[in-house]
Amino acid sequence: MMNYGLKSQHSPLQELDGRSKLISLAVIFSLVLIFSHPLYMAVLLTLVLLVWWIARLPFKLIKDLIQFILMIGIIILVVQIFFYPGTTNLLRISKPVPAIGFSGYITLEGILFGVAMVLRLVVIMVVAPLMVMTTPLPELMLALVKLKVPYRFAFIMTTALSLLPSIQNHAAIIQQAQLCRGITYDAAGKFLTKLRASAALMVPLILGAFRDSQTLDVAMSSRAFGAPVKRTFLLESHFRPVDYLLLAFTLLLLVGGIYLRVLGYGTY
Amino acid sequence: MARENIILCENLDFIYPNGVQALHNITLAIEPGEYVAFVGQNGSGKTTLVKHFNGLLKPTHGTVRVFGEDTQEKKVSYLSRKVGYVFQNPDDMLFCNSVEEEIAYGPRMIGLGLEEIGAKVERILRELELDNQREIHPFALSLGDRQRLAVACVLSLDPEMFVFDEPTTGQDYFGGKSIMMLIDQLHAKGKTIVIITHDMPLVAEHARRVVVMNRGQIALDGSPEQVFRQTAQLRQLSLRAPQVTLLAQNLGLKDRTILEAASMIRWLAEDYLPAPGVMQGEQA
Amino acid sequence: MQPVSSFSTSPCGKEKMSPLVEFKDVTFSYPRTEQSAIRNISFEISPGEFVALIGPSGAGKSTLCYSFNGSVPQLFNGNMAGSVTVAGRDTCQEEIPILAQHVGLVVQNARTQLFNVSVLQEVGFGCENLGMPRERIRERVQQALSFVGLSGLEEREPTALSGGQQQRLAIACVLAMDPEVLVLDEPTSELDPIGSEQVMGVIARMNRELGKTIFLVTHDMEFVAKYASRVLVLCEGLLIEDGSSEKVFSNSALLERARIRPPQVCEVAQGLRQKGYSLNRIPINMDMAIEMFMGLRHG
Repeated sequence: MMNYGLKSQHSPLQELDGRSKLISLAVIFSLVLIFSHPLYMAVLLTLVLLVWWIARLPFKLIKDLIQFILMIGIIILVVQIFFYPGTTNLLRISKPVPAIGFSGYITLEGILFGVAMVLRLVVIMVVAPLMVMTTPLPELMLALVKLKVPYRFAFIMTTALSLLPSIQNHAAIIQQAQLCRGITYDAAGKFLTKLRASAALMVPLILGAFRDSQTLDVAMSSRAFGAPVKRTFLLESHFRPVDYLLLAFTLLLLVGGIYLRVLGYGTY
Repeated sequence: MARENIILCENLDFIYPNGVQALHNITLAIEPGEYVAFVGQNGSGKTTLVKHFNGLLKPTHGTVRVFGEDTQEKKVSYLSRKVGYVFQNPDDMLFCNSVEEEIAYGPRMIGLGLEEIGAKVERILRELELDNQREIHPFALSLGDRQRLAVACVLSLDPEMFVFDEPTTGQDYFGGKSIMMLIDQLHAKGKTIVIITHDMPLVAEHARRVVVMNRGQIALDGSPEQVFRQTAQLRQLSLRAPQVTLLAQNLGLKDRTILEAASMIRWLAEDYLPAPGVMQGEQA
Repeated sequence: MQPVSSFSTSPCGKEKMSPLVEFKDVTFSYPRTEQSAIRNISFEISPGEFVALIGPSGAGKSTLCYSFNGSVPQLFNGNMAGSVTVAGRDTCQEEIPILAQHVGLVVQNARTQLFNVSVLQEVGFGCENLGMPRERIRERVQQALSFVGLSGLEEREPTALSGGQQQRLAIACVLAMDPEVLVLDEPTSELDPIGSEQVMGVIARMNRELGKTIFLVTHDMEFVAKYASRVLVLCEGLLIEDGSSEKVFSNSALLERARIRPPQVCEVAQGLRQKGYSLNRIPINMDMAIEMFMGLRHG
């Protein structure tokens, strides 16, 4: 579960050193933020999906991820379509409302920008699990530390991920317990009832997590967490030729991207 | 006239989504008024079986009937009005802002009238001795009181049968005794009781019927006297009868089973040992 | 795994050695609470002892456990009076990571402290934190896993283990740091009979074979009678008794005050006494009871 389902298959991406993956991740993030034209986003997205395919990760997961952000995506699109200060007017909607920056028109730039923003979101949402699912947590931790991220910080980030399954388990038990109280989760009933039911899930869950975290604090100290010495890592990681290749490629991508942007491409 | 069974399992198989078969061809009946303990190692299937009694789990093969109704298509919220389930951790069941609200929740959910809800809440508060804490937030109560509250909430749906999942595990003697007294009271009022537990003295001192599970099957099913006599089999299942039971057996008692300290004392004083006055001097 | 050489346990123990653990008039209250969790606690533990701590829920047993390695007071910001010394070190002054090398604390609910991806990583976590060389860590991990009976499971996910295995894993995690003292807070309360037997077996062997000093909190009185040479009774934060299991389980008034139910054989013996039998001892385990009652029967 910690590897999120990759135990049975072997992903080629697992061959790579965590550091080169992290650096590539950072480069993709930067490129996605540098540009704001949907075409460039689409290119980046295609690249990321290609990597996803190479990594042999299930495509169903992408569908799930997109469904997850669909609501936000639509809101972003609508907002940009109506409010982006574009110049190519396409369609008159109503009288201008200067107070909220609405020009009264749907603009071409608005649509393009909206699409770009949504694509940007999709790229980010796809590239993150790409990292997490192809890198066992100890490797991720080691990579972060070798990249000079303070150990405590790296620890907090990676351990939150590993504690997630136990919280999910507890949530499932609480749901069962509350079913026995007469709550129905699957009812086509009132929205408020469903909302109340979800809120009801939170209380024991958070309380449990809080109590557990206190004992965890003691347990961690009892295992010398935070000792003021140079920490050993059982795991070892070395750069291989394929890592250098990847780094060279991403560096090229980054430089190329910055160059293009400076020349004025990829934006309006 | 045959009494209708509360629970009837016929050829019950249960297979988890990951393919592990937890229950094999279980056939079992529970009659109204029984007081049954399910024991066995973790993984023996005891909790899996009992979760079929209120629909939390549905059979993969075979049927489970609650008061004659097949559970396959029934919702847990519906079956909870017939079979109440009290979870091991009471905190997992509580989510309202006051004790009163908590007890009223179930009846409200099933649509009872305000007056009826009020009367029911009053009655339960009194029965479970929570009436002077009615305004208190559930998580501010002591563990023992939270347990009583969880029972109160289940009681508010008026089920005929109660299931208790490990009611004494992780508690000290007093806490365990307190909840067992409550459970005995419910039984005395005519409720059918099912307990899942590891606590053998609890089983010996309170249950009237013991079902021992092993690897998804019923290994033993009988009264505590009958079950605790099977020492060899119990040892094989890595279960141990209470200390007094074993002691009596070790001292040579064969024709019956001792289940608790009081009867042990009686047997020693009346049958096994000479009268106290007869013995001279102190024994080593 | 070699016993720690600095505190060797001589079989006869005739010379008085300096105590390994010393609590001197310790009182601690958590922040924003009026009532102290533990009050005026004083006791000493010598190397190699097997001490059990019993008492009702809420008596302060966990707080007492946390005091062994400095977690109380260092992690809790409460008010502490008195001193706790372990292996010559003051738990208020010394850093917890240093104390952790002398006291291995296994908290309640071992499950919650297992968060690594493999059993190997989990057991090595403590040694990694201490900056030990890699080879030595691997050695320690192998030794610890072998001792608790989990060899061969290095690549398994801790969450996939059974309850008893997880508890033994938690013990291995602190055992790998080779402390002199092991403090265990209710290690078997959530386990089934097999799991409990396995865990108690490991604890007993740590005492017998490795010479580790054990401080065990438990509600299982039969275990206490079987393994502990000494029992501390904590009630509402106060230490109300410190003696042998026999002394503690024979004292009805004490048991009632501390709301403790002794092993059933003790109850039986007390009951016989009330019926007029004069017994000069209270048996605390099965063997003693058999011997005594058979002896009484045959005069």
